[in-house]
Amino acid sequence: MPKGVKIVLVITVILFAAAVVAMFVFNRQADRKTVEIVQNGEVIYTLDLASEKDRSFNIDSPDGGYNTVTISGGTICISDADCPDHTCIKTGVLRSETIPVVCLPHRLVIRFAEEDSQ
Amino acid sequence: MLKKIIPLVCCMLGASLWGCSQQSPVKNASEAHTADLFAMDTYMTLKAYGDNAEKALTSATNRITELEGMLDVTSPSSDVYKLDNANGNALTVSPDTASIIAAGIEYGRLTDGDLDISIYPVLKEWGFTTGEYKVPDKQTIDSLLADVDYSRITVNGDSVTVPEDMQIDLGSLAKGYTSDAVMEIFREEGVKSAIVSLGGNVQAIGKKPDGSDWSVAVVNPFAPDTDMCIVEIDEKAVITSGNYERYFTDDEGNNYWHIIDPKDGCPADNGLVSVTIIGDRGIMCDALSTALFAAGTEKAVSYWQNDKGFDMILVTDEGQILYTPELSGHFRNVSNMPAEVISVA
Repeated sequence: MPKGVKIVLVITVILFAAAVVAMFVFNRQADRKTVEIVQNGEVIYTLDLASEKDRSFNIDSPDGGYNTVTISGGTICISDADCPDHTCIKTGVLRSETIPVVCLPHRLVIRFAEEDSQ
Repeated sequence: MLKKIIPLVCCMLGASLWGCSQQSPVKNASEAHTADLFAMDTYMTLKAYGDNAEKALTSATNRITELEGMLDVTSPSSDVYKLDNANGNALTVSPDTASIIAAGIEYGRLTDGDLDISIYPVLKEWGFTTGEYKVPDKQTIDSLLADVDYSRITVNGDSVTVPEDMQIDLGSLAKGYTSDAVMEIFREEGVKSAIVSLGGNVQAIGKKPDGSDWSVAVVNPFAPDTDMCIVEIDEKAVITSGNYERYFTDDEGNNYWHIIDPKDGCPADNGLVSVTIIGDRGIMCDALSTALFAAGTEKAVSYWQNDKGFDMILVTDEGQILYTPELSGHFRNVSNMPAEVISVA
């Protein structure tokens, strides 16, 4: 086999392999679980649940009051709050695009980010 | 050798390029435009696809705000507040308000009073409008019930009369009417694919941009932090009324929920804990989900058997799912409750 042909072949194989890897990585992004925490219509956190560590943190409401957000095993929920109805806690973990986790009294929403909600 | 390698090289490069070229057109066609807002005492999300989506979403959110202004029973500038405080005089209201009230009267008639837009004073007495819950005594409920009767409300064009001793609230119809109004705007703007969720009331135009149906989760009423089933829809509304949505518990552990039976003025307890209606019009689904919840299992089943213009999923207080036959194939039970098809006749 002439040297030039070998080089072309090697380069092509490398390019092809790179393309396959790139497509794999690109498609894998569809498996990401990016969520947004929105307060008063403003996105205050964007989190990729696939890589977030398990933890809890408080979000204070500008009018006083708080919601405790808990991330655990790739899921997210509101685990505690001082709102009167506790609807946000009762909703459980975020699991559906049409059922975001909402705390109406504190105007706090946890929802899937658009690129991952399909 | 070269002759053998060239086609191979071409194939590999071609495959790579084809792989790359797949991304852009599909992504453009399926690019979602979204809007969200707090309105009507709930959180709403709107998603639309296509060229005019952004414009359609702006018009839709303006329309929602406009409707909220007309319908908010607590706001002195709203049509509903004015009607409730008009001392029985006829008032000219917006065409939207008039048509929702007319629909309320019509669904009251169709469901034999299981939906009654004049139940509002009873709902207030239980504290569901303020969150200051209490169990009223029977005497108080009975005296309030004496003035609950949707059939005494009159609508003449845009002129509406609510009797002096009566108060109405359109909460059981407003979100359904609003999602219909949003769909109308989307259609006018040429949107072919869209879905909205107005506090869990879902309505869609067409299918998803990839041609598949929309998946809508329905909450398990016995464990509201989990789903009961997934319904696949296209061009439909899915609206649920459940006893888990707004309720309080008294000192003895009894639960009282916000759907009041107009027959006795107490939380409707006629065998159902959740009613999901799937149909073409949001207002119908909204009205029937409330009315059939109050009606109970037997009446709900017989209402559907006589009408069949919609589909429904009932959950009984004994933990059984009942669904209409058309849903077979579009309905996935993800709970551990048994599901049974409702007989056609």
